[in-house]
Amino acid sequence: MLQAPGGAVGSSTRMRCMYMFNRQGVCLHYHVWLRPVSVLSRQEDQKLMFGLLFSLKLFTAKMDPVGGSKGQLGAAQLQGQGCSFHSFQTNTYKLSFMETPTGLKIVLVTDSKMSDLREALKYIYSNIYVEYVVKNPLYTPDTPFKCELFNQNLDNYVKTLS
Amino acid sequence: MAREVAESCIDSINLELVHTYATRLHPTKPELAARRIEAIGFQVGLQLAERYTKERPRFGDHLEAIKFICKDFWAEVFKKQIDNLKTNHRGVFVLQDNRFRWLTRFSLDAPTSGNGTSSSEANQANSARASQAAGQYLYFPCGLIRGALTNFGVPCAVSAEVSALPACSFIVRIKG
Repeated sequence: MLQAPGGAVGSSTRMRCMYMFNRQGVCLHYHVWLRPVSVLSRQEDQKLMFGLLFSLKLFTAKMDPVGGSKGQLGAAQLQGQGCSFHSFQTNTYKLSFMETPTGLKIVLVTDSKMSDLREALKYIYSNIYVEYVVKNPLYTPDTPFKCELFNQNLDNYVKTLS
Repeated sequence: MAREVAESCIDSINLELVHTYATRLHPTKPELAARRIEAIGFQVGLQLAERYTKERPRFGDHLEAIKFICKDFWAEVFKKQIDNLKTNHRGVFVLQDNRFRWLTRFSLDAPTSGNGTSSSEANQANSARASQAAGQYLYFPCGLIRGALTNFGVPCAVSAEVSALPACSFIVRIKG
Protein backbone atom coordinates (compact mmCIF):
# COMPACT_ATOMS: atom_id res chain seq x y z
CA MET A 1 0.00 0.00 0.00
CA LEU A 2 1.42 3.29 -1.02
CA GLN A 3 1.78 6.16 1.42
CA ALA A 4 1.09 9.42 -0.35
CA PRO A 5 4.18 11.59 -0.69
CA GLY A 6 2.21 14.80 -0.23
CA GLY A 7 4.88 17.09 -1.59
CA ALA A 8 5.51 15.11 -4.77
CA VAL A 9 1.97 15.36 -6.11
CA GLY A 10 1.23 18.83 -7.44
CA SER A 11 -1.65 20.88 -6.10
CA SER A 12 -3.26 20.84 -9.53
CA THR A 13 -4.39 17.26 -9.14
CA ARG A 14 -7.84 16.75 -7.75
CA MET A 15 -7.62 13.06 -7.05
CA ARG A 16 -8.09 11.79 -3.56
CA CYS A 17 -7.72 8.04 -3.69
CA MET A 18 -8.37 4.92 -5.73
CA TYR A 19 -9.38 1.36 -4.85
CA MET A 20 -9.32 -1.76 -6.98
CA PHE A 21 -11.25 -4.85 -5.89
CA ASN A 22 -11.46 -8.26 -7.48
CA ARG A 23 -14.57 -10.39 -7.69
CA GLN A 24 -14.15 -11.87 -4.22
CA GLY A 25 -13.80 -8.52 -2.52
CA VAL A 26 -10.05 -8.65 -2.02
CA CYS A 27 -8.62 -5.16 -2.35
CA LEU A 28 -5.93 -5.55 -4.97
CA HIS A 29 -4.66 -2.03 -4.83
CA TYR A 30 -5.22 1.09 -2.78
CA HIS A 31 -3.65 4.28 -4.07
CA VAL A 32 -3.89 7.51 -2.10
CA TRP A 33 -3.02 11.01 -3.22
CA LEU A 34 -4.66 13.24 -0.66
CA ARG A 35 -6.55 11.92 2.34
CA PRO A 36 -6.05 14.00 5.45
CA VAL A 37 -8.85 12.46 7.48
CA SER A 38 -9.34 8.72 7.72
CA VAL A 39 -11.72 7.48 10.36
CA LEU A 40 -11.46 3.70 9.99
CA SER A 41 -8.55 1.31 9.80
CA ARG A 42 -7.38 0.29 6.34
CA GLN A 43 -9.08 -3.12 6.35
CA GLU A 44 -12.39 -1.81 7.65
CA ASP A 45 -12.30 1.00 5.16
CA GLN A 46 -11.87 -1.43 2.29
CA LYS A 47 -14.53 -3.81 3.52
CA LEU A 48 -16.94 -0.92 3.91
CA MET A 49 -16.19 0.28 0.39
CA PHE A 50 -16.75 -3.15 -1.13
CA GLY A 51 -20.00 -3.62 0.76
CA LEU A 52 -21.20 -0.21 -0.38
CA LEU A 53 -20.47 -0.99 -4.04
CA PHE A 54 -22.21 -4.33 -3.82
CA SER A 55 -25.33 -2.86 -2.23
CA LEU A 56 -25.48 0.12 -4.57
CA LYS A 57 -25.27 -2.07 -7.64
CA LEU A 58 -28.06 -4.25 -6.37
CA PHE A 59 -30.17 -1.24 -5.44
CA THR A 60 -29.79 0.44 -8.81
CA ALA A 61 -30.67 -2.76 -10.62
CA LYS A 62 -33.81 -3.25 -8.54
CA MET A 63 -34.99 0.35 -8.93
CA ASP A 64 -34.53 0.39 -12.69
CA PRO A 65 -37.81 1.56 -14.21
CA VAL A 66 -37.11 0.30 -17.74
CA GLY A 67 -34.87 -2.76 -17.52
CA GLY A 68 -36.28 -6.16 -16.78
CA SER A 69 -33.26 -7.92 -15.33
CA LYS A 70 -33.42 -9.17 -11.79
CA GLY A 71 -29.79 -8.29 -11.14
CA GLN A 72 -28.00 -11.53 -10.30
CA LEU A 73 -25.98 -11.22 -7.18
CA GLY A 74 -22.28 -10.82 -7.79
CA ALA A 75 -22.26 -11.84 -11.45
CA ALA A 76 -20.23 -9.52 -13.63
CA GLN A 77 -21.89 -8.08 -16.70
CA LEU A 78 -20.65 -6.87 -20.05
CA GLN A 79 -20.26 -3.13 -20.41
CA GLY A 80 -23.55 -1.58 -21.31
CA GLN A 81 -25.64 -4.50 -20.23
CA GLY A 82 -27.66 -4.55 -17.08
CA CYS A 83 -27.94 -1.50 -14.89
CA SER A 84 -25.08 -0.22 -12.81
CA PHE A 85 -24.41 3.08 -11.14
CA HIS A 86 -21.32 4.95 -12.23
CA SER A 87 -20.84 7.80 -9.81
CA PHE A 88 -22.19 9.63 -6.81
CA GLN A 89 -21.39 13.08 -5.59
CA THR A 90 -21.46 14.86 -2.24
CA ASN A 91 -20.55 18.41 -1.37
CA THR A 92 -16.95 17.45 -0.64
CA TYR A 93 -16.09 14.61 -3.02
CA LYS A 94 -17.19 12.58 -6.02
CA LEU A 95 -16.91 8.82 -6.23
CA SER A 96 -16.71 7.19 -9.69
CA PHE A 97 -17.01 3.47 -10.23
CA MET A 98 -16.46 1.02 -13.03
CA GLU A 99 -16.83 -2.74 -13.16
CA THR A 100 -15.14 -4.74 -15.89
CA PRO A 101 -16.57 -7.94 -17.37
CA THR A 102 -14.00 -9.90 -15.37
CA GLY A 103 -15.43 -8.63 -12.10
CA LEU A 104 -12.69 -6.13 -11.35
CA LYS A 105 -14.08 -3.02 -9.64
CA ILE A 106 -12.28 0.29 -9.92
CA VAL A 107 -13.27 3.14 -7.61
CA LEU A 108 -11.94 6.65 -7.96
CA VAL A 109 -12.55 9.28 -5.28
CA THR A 110 -11.95 12.82 -6.52
CA ASP A 111 -12.77 16.43 -5.96
CA SER A 112 -16.45 17.16 -6.53
CA LYS A 113 -15.79 19.54 -9.43
CA MET A 114 -14.31 16.78 -11.56
CA SER A 115 -15.97 16.03 -14.88
CA ASP A 116 -17.35 12.62 -15.79
CA LEU A 117 -14.67 10.03 -15.30
CA ARG A 118 -15.99 7.01 -17.18
CA GLU A 119 -13.51 7.40 -20.02
CA ALA A 120 -10.70 7.92 -17.57
CA LEU A 121 -11.62 4.75 -15.71
CA LYS A 122 -11.65 2.79 -18.97
CA TYR A 123 -8.25 4.17 -19.83
CA ILE A 124 -6.87 3.30 -16.41
CA TYR A 125 -8.11 -0.25 -16.79
CA SER A 126 -7.03 -1.00 -20.34
CA ASN A 127 -3.86 1.02 -20.71
CA ILE A 128 -2.41 1.06 -17.23
CA TYR A 129 -3.72 -1.94 -15.31
CA VAL A 130 -3.67 -4.45 -18.18
CA GLU A 131 -0.38 -3.22 -19.58
CA TYR A 132 1.63 -2.98 -16.40
CA VAL A 133 0.05 -5.42 -13.98
CA VAL A 134 -1.60 -8.21 -15.94
CA LYS A 135 1.33 -8.43 -18.33
CA ASN A 136 3.92 -8.20 -15.62
CA PRO A 137 5.75 -11.54 -15.48
CA LEU A 138 6.20 -11.23 -11.73
CA TYR A 139 2.54 -10.79 -10.87
CA THR A 140 0.31 -13.68 -9.79
CA PRO A 141 -3.34 -12.92 -10.57
CA ASP A 142 -5.84 -12.13 -7.81
CA THR A 143 -3.25 -11.02 -5.29
CA PRO A 144 -2.68 -7.50 -3.97
CA PHE A 145 0.00 -5.71 -5.94
CA LYS A 146 2.02 -2.54 -5.86
CA CYS A 147 4.06 -2.53 -9.07
CA GLU A 148 6.41 0.37 -9.62
CA LEU A 149 5.51 0.85 -13.28
CA PHE A 150 1.80 0.83 -12.50
CA ASN A 151 2.22 3.49 -9.81
CA GLN A 152 4.35 5.70 -12.00
CA ASN A 153 2.07 5.53 -14.97
CA LEU A 154 -1.02 6.07 -12.88
CA ASP A 155 0.47 9.17 -11.27
CA ASN A 156 1.46 10.53 -14.68
CA TYR A 157 -1.97 9.87 -16.11
CA VAL A 158 -4.01 11.46 -13.33
CA LYS A 159 -2.01 14.66 -13.67
CA THR A 160 -3.57 15.06 -17.11
CA LEU A 161 -7.14 14.73 -15.85
CA SER A 162 -9.08 17.90 -15.27
CA MET B 1 -5.17 2.75 -27.88
CA ALA B 2 -5.86 -0.32 -29.92
CA ARG B 3 -3.50 -3.26 -29.93
CA GLU B 4 -3.44 -6.25 -32.18
CA VAL B 5 -4.64 -9.47 -30.62
CA ALA B 6 -1.57 -11.28 -31.91
CA GLU B 7 0.75 -8.95 -30.02
CA SER B 8 -0.99 -9.52 -26.73
CA CYS B 9 -1.06 -13.25 -27.42
CA ILE B 10 2.66 -13.48 -28.00
CA ASP B 11 3.37 -11.50 -24.84
CA SER B 12 1.15 -13.81 -22.81
CA ILE B 13 2.55 -16.98 -24.37
CA ASN B 14 6.06 -15.94 -23.54
CA LEU B 15 5.15 -15.26 -19.91
CA GLU B 16 3.38 -18.56 -19.57
CA LEU B 17 6.18 -20.47 -21.33
CA VAL B 18 8.75 -19.36 -18.83
CA HIS B 19 6.42 -19.78 -15.89
CA THR B 20 5.43 -23.32 -16.88
CA TYR B 21 8.92 -24.58 -17.59
CA ALA B 22 10.54 -22.91 -14.62
CA THR B 23 7.98 -23.60 -11.93
CA ARG B 24 5.71 -26.40 -13.02
CA LEU B 25 7.70 -28.80 -15.17
CA HIS B 26 11.25 -28.49 -13.83
CA PRO B 27 11.13 -26.62 -10.55
CA THR B 28 14.36 -28.18 -9.28
CA LYS B 29 16.39 -27.98 -12.47
CA PRO B 30 16.52 -24.44 -13.82
CA GLU B 31 19.24 -25.30 -16.35
CA LEU B 32 17.06 -27.96 -17.92
CA ALA B 33 14.15 -25.53 -18.19
CA ALA B 34 16.51 -23.00 -19.75
CA ARG B 35 17.75 -25.46 -22.34
CA ARG B 36 14.23 -26.57 -23.23
CA ILE B 37 13.03 -23.00 -23.75
CA GLU B 38 16.16 -22.22 -25.77
CA ALA B 39 15.51 -25.27 -27.94
CA ILE B 40 12.01 -24.05 -28.72
CA GLY B 41 13.47 -20.69 -29.66
CA PHE B 42 16.01 -22.46 -31.85
CA GLN B 43 13.31 -24.15 -33.92
CA VAL B 44 11.38 -20.92 -34.28
CA GLY B 45 14.53 -19.06 -35.29
CA LEU B 46 15.31 -21.64 -37.97
CA GLN B 47 11.89 -21.29 -39.53
CA LEU B 48 11.65 -17.52 -39.24
CA ALA B 49 15.05 -17.15 -40.89
CA GLU B 50 13.81 -19.16 -43.86
CA ARG B 51 10.77 -16.97 -44.16
CA TYR B 52 12.46 -13.60 -43.91
CA THR B 53 15.24 -14.32 -46.41
CA LYS B 54 13.22 -15.81 -49.23
CA GLU B 55 14.17 -13.10 -51.72
CA ARG B 56 17.73 -12.44 -50.66
CA PRO B 57 20.97 -13.96 -51.94
CA ARG B 58 23.29 -15.86 -49.58
CA PHE B 59 25.29 -13.90 -47.03
CA GLY B 60 28.91 -13.12 -47.84
CA ASP B 61 30.33 -13.50 -44.37
CA HIS B 62 29.46 -13.74 -40.69
CA LEU B 63 29.29 -10.00 -40.22
CA GLU B 64 26.63 -9.61 -42.90
CA ALA B 65 24.53 -12.33 -41.31
CA ILE B 66 24.79 -10.65 -37.90
CA LYS B 67 23.90 -7.29 -39.39
CA PHE B 68 20.84 -8.83 -40.98
CA ILE B 69 19.79 -10.15 -37.57
CA CYS B 70 20.27 -6.72 -36.02
CA LYS B 71 18.32 -4.84 -38.63
CA ASP B 72 15.73 -6.77 -40.59
CA PHE B 73 15.19 -9.85 -38.43
CA TRP B 74 14.82 -7.92 -35.17
CA ALA B 75 12.58 -5.37 -36.88
CA GLU B 76 10.29 -8.12 -38.14
CA VAL B 77 10.04 -9.93 -34.83
CA PHE B 78 10.21 -7.10 -32.27
CA LYS B 79 9.31 -4.08 -34.42
CA LYS B 80 12.56 -2.27 -33.73
CA GLN B 81 16.22 -2.67 -34.57
CA ILE B 82 19.08 -3.59 -32.29
CA ASP B 83 20.45 -0.35 -30.87
CA ASN B 84 24.11 -1.18 -30.61
CA LEU B 85 26.40 -3.81 -32.13
CA LYS B 86 29.93 -4.33 -30.85
CA THR B 87 32.52 -6.86 -31.94
CA ASN B 88 36.04 -7.81 -31.05
CA HIS B 89 36.71 -9.05 -34.58
CA ARG B 90 37.61 -12.45 -33.21
CA GLY B 91 34.17 -13.99 -33.45
CA VAL B 92 32.42 -12.40 -30.48
CA PHE B 93 29.54 -9.99 -31.09
CA VAL B 94 27.49 -8.10 -28.54
CA LEU B 95 23.98 -7.05 -29.62
CA GLN B 96 22.46 -4.47 -27.31
CA ASP B 97 18.79 -3.59 -27.18
CA ASN B 98 18.03 -0.60 -24.98
CA ARG B 99 14.33 -1.29 -24.71
CA PHE B 100 13.67 -4.96 -25.21
CA ARG B 101 10.02 -5.47 -25.91
CA TRP B 102 9.43 -8.38 -23.56
CA LEU B 103 11.08 -6.65 -20.63
CA THR B 104 9.27 -3.33 -20.78
CA ARG B 105 6.54 -4.46 -18.41
CA PHE B 106 8.80 -6.04 -15.87
CA SER B 107 8.42 -4.31 -12.56
CA LEU B 108 8.87 -5.18 -8.93
CA ASP B 109 6.64 -4.13 -6.09
CA ALA B 110 7.25 -0.60 -4.99
CA PRO B 111 9.17 -0.52 -1.72
CA THR B 112 7.08 0.35 1.33
CA SER B 113 7.78 3.76 2.80
CA GLY B 114 11.33 4.00 4.06
CA ASN B 115 13.57 6.89 4.96
CA GLY B 116 15.82 8.52 2.37
CA THR B 117 19.10 6.77 3.18
CA SER B 118 17.86 3.22 2.99
CA SER B 119 15.79 3.71 -0.14
CA SER B 120 18.80 3.92 -2.46
CA GLU B 121 20.18 0.62 -1.14
CA ALA B 122 16.73 -0.90 -1.40
CA ASN B 123 16.58 0.31 -5.00
CA GLN B 124 19.88 -1.33 -5.82
CA ALA B 125 18.86 -4.59 -4.21
CA ASN B 126 15.57 -4.40 -6.08
CA SER B 127 17.19 -3.88 -9.44
CA ALA B 128 19.63 -6.73 -8.79
CA ARG B 129 16.72 -9.06 -8.10
CA ALA B 130 14.87 -7.79 -11.15
CA SER B 131 17.88 -8.48 -13.38
CA GLN B 132 18.13 -12.01 -12.08
CA ALA B 133 14.46 -12.77 -12.61
CA ALA B 134 14.51 -11.16 -16.04
CA GLY B 135 17.24 -13.51 -17.24
CA GLN B 136 14.72 -16.33 -17.54
CA TYR B 137 12.73 -14.40 -20.11
CA LEU B 138 15.74 -14.09 -22.38
CA TYR B 139 16.29 -17.80 -23.08
CA PHE B 140 13.78 -17.78 -25.92
CA PRO B 141 15.33 -14.81 -27.78
CA CYS B 142 18.76 -16.43 -27.38
CA GLY B 143 17.44 -19.54 -29.10
CA LEU B 144 15.87 -17.35 -31.75
CA ILE B 145 19.19 -15.76 -32.63
CA ARG B 146 21.02 -19.07 -32.53
CA GLY B 147 18.44 -20.74 -34.81
CA ALA B 148 18.52 -17.93 -37.33
CA LEU B 149 22.32 -17.84 -37.47
CA THR B 150 22.59 -21.61 -37.74
CA ASN B 151 20.32 -21.53 -40.73
CA PHE B 152 22.58 -18.92 -42.34
CA GLY B 153 25.51 -21.24 -41.88
CA VAL B 154 27.07 -19.52 -38.86
CA PRO B 155 27.48 -21.99 -35.97
CA CYS B 156 27.44 -20.10 -32.70
CA ALA B 157 26.52 -19.96 -29.03
CA VAL B 158 24.34 -17.19 -27.67
CA SER B 159 23.93 -15.94 -24.11
CA ALA B 160 22.17 -12.94 -22.65
CA GLU B 161 22.57 -10.59 -19.77
CA VAL B 162 20.48 -7.85 -18.24
CA SER B 163 22.21 -4.78 -16.89
CA ALA B 164 19.36 -2.35 -16.36
CA LEU B 165 15.75 -3.03 -17.21
CA PRO B 166 14.53 -2.79 -19.91
CA ALA B 167 17.90 -2.84 -21.64
CA CYS B 168 19.59 -6.15 -22.31
CA SER B 169 22.41 -7.50 -24.41
CA PHE B 170 22.95 -10.75 -26.30
CA ILE B 171 26.47 -12.15 -26.69
CA VAL B 172 27.11 -14.25 -29.78
CA ARG B 173 30.23 -16.42 -29.90
CA ILE B 174 30.99 -17.90 -33.26
CA LYS B 175 32.31 -21.45 -33.21
CA GLY B 176 34.96 -22.76 -35.55
